[in-house]
Amino acid sequence: MKQITKYLRSTIAGPLFVLLIIIVIAALTTSRFLLPQNLINLALEVAIVAIVAIGGTLVILTGGIDLSPGSTVALVTVCMAYLIQNMGVSLPVGIVLMLFLGLFLGFINGILSTYGKIPSFIVTLATANIFRGLAYAVTGGLTIFSVSPDLEPIFYGKLLGIPLPFYYVIVLYIAAAFFLRNTIPGRSIYAVGGNESAARLTGISVNKTRLLAFVIAGLTAAIAGILEIAWLNSGAPSFGADLGLDSIAAAVIGGASLAGGYGNVVASLVGALMVTIVQNVLNLNAVQAAWQDVALGVVLALAVGLDMWKGTLGGTIQRIFGRSNIPPDSTPVPKE
Amino acid sequence: MQLEVEKTALWSVRGICKSFPGVRALDDVSLNIYGGEVHALLGENGSGKSTLAKCLAGVYFPDRGEISYQGSPVVFHSPTEAREKGIATIYQEFSIVPTLTVAENVFLGNYKTRKGTGSIDWRTTRADTQKVLDELCLELDPDAVVKNLSVAEQQLVEIAKAVSMDSSLLIMDEPTAALGLTETKHLMELIRRLTAQGKAIIYISHRLDEVFEIADRVTVIKDGRFVATKPVKGLKMGDVVRMMIGFDIEQHYPKEVHLQETPCLEVENLCTENGVNNVSFTIRVGEVFGLGGMLGSGRTEIARAIYGMDRITRGKIHLNGKEVNFRSPGEAIALGIGLIPENRKVDGSFFNFEGPKNITISSLKDILQGPILSLAAEEKVGTKYIKKMNISPMALERSVQFLSGGNQQKVIIARWLFSRARLLIMDEPTQGIDIGAKLEVYRVINEMTADGISVLLISSDFPELLAMSDRVAVVRDGEILQVTEGKKMSEYELISIASGVGLENEVVA
Repeated sequence: MKQITKYLRSTIAGPLFVLLIIIVIAALTTSRFLLPQNLINLALEVAIVAIVAIGGTLVILTGGIDLSPGSTVALVTVCMAYLIQNMGVSLPVGIVLMLFLGLFLGFINGILSTYGKIPSFIVTLATANIFRGLAYAVTGGLTIFSVSPDLEPIFYGKLLGIPLPFYYVIVLYIAAAFFLRNTIPGRSIYAVGGNESAARLTGISVNKTRLLAFVIAGLTAAIAGILEIAWLNSGAPSFGADLGLDSIAAAVIGGASLAGGYGNVVASLVGALMVTIVQNVLNLNAVQAAWQDVALGVVLALAVGLDMWKGTLGGTIQRIFGRSNIPPDSTPVPKE
Repeated sequence: MQLEVEKTALWSVRGICKSFPGVRALDDVSLNIYGGEVHALLGENGSGKSTLAKCLAGVYFPDRGEISYQGSPVVFHSPTEAREKGIATIYQEFSIVPTLTVAENVFLGNYKTRKGTGSIDWRTTRADTQKVLDELCLELDPDAVVKNLSVAEQQLVEIAKAVSMDSSLLIMDEPTAALGLTETKHLMELIRRLTAQGKAIIYISHRLDEVFEIADRVTVIKDGRFVATKPVKGLKMGDVVRMMIGFDIEQHYPKEVHLQETPCLEVENLCTENGVNNVSFTIRVGEVFGLGGMLGSGRTEIARAIYGMDRITRGKIHLNGKEVNFRSPGEAIALGIGLIPENRKVDGSFFNFEGPKNITISSLKDILQGPILSLAAEEKVGTKYIKKMNISPMALERSVQFLSGGNQQKVIIARWLFSRARLLIMDEPTQGIDIGAKLEVYRVINEMTADGISVLLISSDFPELLAMSDRVAVVRDGEILQVTEGKKMSEYELISIASGVGLENEVVA
């Protein structure tokens, strides 16, 4: 228990503090924010972003980026809808097939950006287009409605009065946190992101590690896709449009460094909560969609900006308030 | 020496000092450079030659001292300013843009523009480039994209760029490092033509044979201090080498011999795609085997080949009697090899990890409990090694980024002790760390060899290399020229062989 509190304090204290501030502001400005029904809605809304953010965070920790999960979600919803409605595939089989589809799509991203030597930003920008294009091709651009009555309980079901997505998020986050903290591949992800060259020289396969992160990202995107189709009981190529960026925003707001090596997955959950709460409060106050986009853009820019500036900001603050307890980083000795 | 005062120097440097954190790179160095002379700047690795060149080129701003042109002081705030005032530099590291053409590179930042429109006059630029290339006897297409050229050709473009600037002083820092014999000959001819026009050249090179061919005077720097300026005429190579070494107070190296008979690593006729040429040697159990040579001599490349980083094109490697062919560092590590890289910050430390995680990273399977990493075991390992290696206890809780260079280095050594490496490649293990930490590194080397660990030591600190190695191989151009017992070789011999002077020129001390 002591270890757990220490872990939480050291890793997510900062983002958690900001989250609390946002919650307080939300509660003070918006009377309906704390109503039980709103909080349940919030939990349902956050689930999909939060699950996508797990894979997004792993990729970011290796120093890469994944822009494609939104398109993976879209492709998963239409494929599943098509399989169930047009080919008579049963729901459990459909779910298993979609999980494999996610793994496969992540594998493609991973292979191209490691052994294929294309920067992950470009790879996933390309595959985001490809996956979504394929989704449009599957349905001819249409939405497939009323996929299956059995889908509803997956998203709307409750256990002990609490909606099921809450449990999915908790279980997946515990698994991800454990994977990162207590397994060799998890440690390798941090090593590769922290210092690629040193990782290679200590015998870690940099390519395999990055590939693994992308494969997991494909899997979490597929899980999110299954939740999406269960939520709306329909599959559409337009689903998940903002998910890629929202999940990156969640990871970065949670403190993950886009350079890799720094950050942790639990903080990304806090980041996902922040993104969702901001959206929720704007919705409750009936802010127009256009201004919601502006507000979210500002939040994202600020979050990434803080990541980039925190070195200089920290230095400036220390200079102003004096007494730095961090020894200055010594400059390397010049060589001939 | 008094005669020098009578003629006004074209460029002169007075009492230049330049410090970097922890190092005094230049300490009160003065230099006169006359028009029409080739002035060689000599010194061991890290003596401050390049720093001096960079002060003149406006890259570094000296802490103290002054630079003057024809007697009047000038101050450079940037490389551009130095160039405008007539100092052109050929850097050791290339400063050309690989994606541009030869002509675009040669006149980069200096393009001729058409009057009126201000657009670049490419025809003149190309013609002028051709003129410079002709002067250098280079058969290069001005429109060729630089990245498609060979390394030697790129080096020549670099030279052409500096020559095109029509400067009064040309600084050449290791200009021949990447050149073949013919190209070097052309360069020498060009230098003679330039000096005939009254231009001055500062020539920095490890190759004393070249220096004696081309230079008029030499200035020797040691540990950032001026040693002497002498005309080459009447000077012997042996004298220069002796000036470079200086008369050091004998440093104390706590060398212990733990050499055993069994071979640990046997290398036969090794060739790699990265320039290692037909290298053979044997490292025995408990031996410290030194690789001596100048920068770029191929020392590091030999280590890379053993560690599975470069593809081997010919030859065999046996480790503990078994033939091995590593395709990655991972395979080398699995069979008990470790590497302490030359550049700790870039290739060694994980700044996102605290000490214990930095130590266990090369052998995480040793702290597994089933499939799970035991963080308790990791902490125990970390505490043990941090205590054993006398590393600052701060390493337990905080990122290794906050440790001193010596402590960081000890963390990396601990990494390989933990993984039970049987052969440790140490590339410049004491570079940039203070004397106390150096002694601890020596002590660790002794402890390791006593335990039967073999060490392949690469060091530019030649006294250290000779004192700590049981045997030393001298490397030049990717080849091992000779293997000698460390204590039987003098620094003088090592430098002579490594810099290509050869022992035939030896002058008895």
